[in-house]
Amino acid sequence: MPREIYAYKCRRCGRLHYPYRMVCKNCGENEHNEFDPVPLPKTGTLLTFTELHNPPSDFEVPRLRLGIVELDGGIRITGQLEIGEPRIGMRVEGEVGVVRTEGYDNRYGVVFREA
Amino acid sequence: MRDVYVVGIGITSFTRLEYPLSEIAAYPAMMALRDAGLAAVDHLYVANMGSGRVNHQTGLASAVADTLSLTPAGAEVIENGPASGASAIKAGFLAVASGAYDTVLVTGAERMREVNNLEATDFVATLTHPIAENIYGVTLPSLAAMFTRLYMERYGVTERHLAMVAVKNQNNALLNEFAHLHQRITVEGILDSPEAMTNNPYVSTPLRFFDCCPVSDGGACLILASREMAEGLGRPLVRIAGVGQATDTHCVHEREEPTDLLAVRRAASQAFEMAGLAPSDVDVAELHDAFTILEIVESEEVGFFPKGEGHLALERGETSLEGRLPINPSGGLKGRGHPVGATGVAQAHEIVLQLRGEAGERQVADARVGFTCNFGGFGNNVVCLAFVREN
Repeated sequence: MPREIYAYKCRRCGRLHYPYRMVCKNCGENEHNEFDPVPLPKTGTLLTFTELHNPPSDFEVPRLRLGIVELDGGIRITGQLEIGEPRIGMRVEGEVGVVRTEGYDNRYGVVFREA
Repeated sequence: MRDVYVVGIGITSFTRLEYPLSEIAAYPAMMALRDAGLAAVDHLYVANMGSGRVNHQTGLASAVADTLSLTPAGAEVIENGPASGASAIKAGFLAVASGAYDTVLVTGAERMREVNNLEATDFVATLTHPIAENIYGVTLPSLAAMFTRLYMERYGVTERHLAMVAVKNQNNALLNEFAHLHQRITVEGILDSPEAMTNNPYVSTPLRFFDCCPVSDGGACLILASREMAEGLGRPLVRIAGVGQATDTHCVHEREEPTDLLAVRRAASQAFEMAGLAPSDVDVAELHDAFTILEIVESEEVGFFPKGEGHLALERGETSLEGRLPINPSGGLKGRGHPVGATGVAQAHEIVLQLRGEAGERQVADARVGFTCNFGGFGNNVVCLAFVREN
């Protein structure tokens, strides 16, 4: 089964959130704390990015490209980039994959490629 | 609420310190008690972020109260990430203002050089959102880098502006005997020369080595007291006139306007409102330049300059030691160093020194109103303080 990352949609006002939060940011009262998970859109626009030259010590790569993407529909997400020459405003497409390995455990997140 | 005064100050060198964390907290406290002429206080707040993780020691406040022989005074640790220092001052301020205590000792301390730089960066990265940021390998330098790229694109900030902040603050640090970095740098050496890529490699594009503060050990202390106590002690009267604090979304990607630091704007405006002051009243400021971009953006968000024009004021020299509004005369986090839990207290220490007229070679002439901005997370918890010299 393909892995998905979900946004959380407020049952009252429909506002989407990523990541999960306990109370809707729009409704702002804790009776509005029920959300429906909806799969995040796959495509979006690269808002900003960086190439990190000293990734955290458990990453066995010399460089790590990271970015913030504005997904179609407006919600934003932070992810890894597998893009040779990232540019602000470029179209990207995300896929869920292994973004970090901790011991024998794989951690999953979104990896973006040029669309 | 009662008026609250700073009656004593103390600080350690910000560098690599080879003595235990509890002593890094206690040593500036001894200096501050001596400065105030006090032998005891009603209460202690100890600002620290990483003792449990980095130094394998918890309950730091009890250790500090005991080693100073201030028992049975109450004591607790205040942890608010890199804004722990100003948060602890705020706690002390509220405790004295409310009338609960007449004297409070606020000491901030961190010993980060016990681990190597990679581990220290991993430790600070635990501030980020566990599943939406940290999991990807996001660190504070990478968040600052992505923010810098947006600011460059939108407002025309260049690597040269960032280098100018680094040069200004490291030059100021040369005049501060307690600063971590005593290294004269030039824009040519870190940006223009053929060796610049070696001298100043990228840490996280477009941020380079000299855009980031060092990892430091250090401690700083303030003693706060009521007006009655302060007048009896006879030290120069420096009042904490305004306190402001605001939070923002945990994830940087959730900020509505990605180039805004809303928590800075809100915390500053609260502090100015409480103090009955405007940004134009400020004579000297210490801003949280963990990354060079932050000094520029905070100088806009707190209201010193219009949005998007902080780098122009920097270019005109307005924020240099001889300028209209000197920012980070101590060297800032960039030059003085950034022992995370101690930084907010060290910022206030510098402002009190300036307002007393005791800042030596880096004294800002006729400084009567001072301001600090202590920035936690990547802008998700910010504490601002306004100080006024009264007599």
